[in-house]
Amino acid sequence: MHVFQLFINGHSPSSIEAVDTLLKICKENLDGNYQLEIIDIQKDPDKAEEAGIIAIPTLIRMMPTPVNRIIGALNVRSRVLAGLGISSMHK
Amino acid sequence: MNLQKLETGNTSFDHISHGGLPLGRTTLVAGSSGSAKTLFGAQFLAMGIQLFDQPGVFVTFEEQIDDIRNNLKSFNWDIDTWEKEGKWIFVDAAPKEENVVAVGDFDLSAFRVRLERAVQRCKAQRVVIDSIGSIFTQFHEEVHTIRRELIQVALTLSRLGATSIITAERLEEYGKITRFGVEEFLTDNVIILRNVLQKEKRRRTIEILKFRGSNHEKGENPFTINPEKAIVIIPLSAMNLKHTSSDERVTSGIPALDDMINGGFYKGSINLVSGAIGAGKTLLVANFVKGIREKKERCLLMAFEESSEQLYRNAAGWGIDFKQLEEEGLLKVICVYPEISSLEDHFINIQEVVESFKPNRIAIDSLSALSRTSTDKGFREFIIAFTSYLKHQEITGMFTSNTPLLAGGTSDTEGNISPITDSIILLRYVEMSGEMQRSIAVLKMRGSKHDSSIRKFSITDEGANIGKHFEGLSGILTGNPMLIQVE
Repeated sequence: MHVFQLFINGHSPSSIEAVDTLLKICKENLDGNYQLEIIDIQKDPDKAEEAGIIAIPTLIRMMPTPVNRIIGALNVRSRVLAGLGISSMHK
Repeated sequence: MNLQKLETGNTSFDHISHGGLPLGRTTLVAGSSGSAKTLFGAQFLAMGIQLFDQPGVFVTFEEQIDDIRNNLKSFNWDIDTWEKEGKWIFVDAAPKEENVVAVGDFDLSAFRVRLERAVQRCKAQRVVIDSIGSIFTQFHEEVHTIRRELIQVALTLSRLGATSIITAERLEEYGKITRFGVEEFLTDNVIILRNVLQKEKRRRTIEILKFRGSNHEKGENPFTINPEKAIVIIPLSAMNLKHTSSDERVTSGIPALDDMINGGFYKGSINLVSGAIGAGKTLLVANFVKGIREKKERCLLMAFEESSEQLYRNAAGWGIDFKQLEEEGLLKVICVYPEISSLEDHFINIQEVVESFKPNRIAIDSLSALSRTSTDKGFREFIIAFTSYLKHQEITGMFTSNTPLLAGGTSDTEGNISPITDSIILLRYVEMSGEMQRSIAVLKMRGSKHDSSIRKFSITDEGANIGKHFEGLSGILTGNPMLIQVE
């Protein structure tokens, strides 16, 4: 089970790109076995404060541990998969 | 045109900056590691809350908030309470333990949103961002992005209208302003903090490099970190010679010496007594202390060479009762080893005593001992700042300095101090017919006539005894006296 938080800023281009890429990865590589919370810092700045977010977009992999973070538009899919520890063969 | 300034509350900084930091602008504070950048920023916020009830936001990019809280506890700033009252807000932008990788384009809009919220929430008038260099190390592969984003942060700050400080790392004490070149977009106001190692001694200085559209003192000013007042600057360049000169005379404590200097020292003058070991310097100091009796003055005696027991015993031997004077509240004797603290700290300590005790006279025995704790340059600056301070307070000073040679000669200490003293009294040994004799002479006395002869000087049970001048003798000051045949 993968649990993610994705921090975005409204409809900024990099936010949109990150959401798209992540949804695709989840769909194609995780078979629906995941939880994803998308947090818009404009609407919910307290959560950004709590998590100490600086950069947008920021993706936090809460589970499996250890927790790690990927910042950026996530536009290089192979690197995102590597960063999240998801094998691309996992289908 | 002069830009408006915000009084920081650090009196010494407001002095050298001619009123504080540029109001509503951002000032870059650059310094090497350990140069007290974080403290400078924290003090700016703490003073704002303590003295002006101006709330502040502290952003940390580097240290963890708990560490900062702990480090600042020693300064009696009640940050915990201020946080509860909503006067001090921390924004945590320090690196997280988690592993972070960057994939693709990003911006720092989350940081800007958080900064803006914090500023609005406490209506902050002061903002500190510490230190901006570490965001480059957090995102070391994305230097261009960070640079672009920091310009946005600077714009946000100027839109918010708070007076802010951004600190930045530098690698060399004298070189490029900051490590990542942030001065390229934070150019208007720049302050540099230095912590230079010179001849095995650390010397901290602050330099206001520029305040666009506004005046400030130029050059480096030494500063020290005081356990109570945090950063205290010794405002060297801001010293001026506009102090009142008095015509009033005060006694040296020795009537014959008063005669030699035409009626006593000027009130508020700085007087140097130079001599070799045992030549009678401390005796002159003791008499100078005794002189306070005449007009019911108070005297502060700073002894850097002897313990108070030694001092009291010696004075008693010359018929001067220091204990009695102290009991009457006219005298305060402070004996310290010069090495216990830096020259800057000594300066602050003396200032504190002067402010509470309010002496009319101050005696320092000896300056030479004090000069051991610093470099030549540092000592010269100390002397200038110190004498100027005393003159502003109209305190009459007597400083002693040791000459390395028994007869004749001068010392380095004197070279530094003699131009700014009002009078110089020389105590020299004279070797005559197989006998060591003491001599006394007034080398200079600003604004007054003085006796130009070199007189015999002896130390008896009653104290100092000034006799006739050495007749028919030449070359005493060079250490090679010769009899001149008078025909």
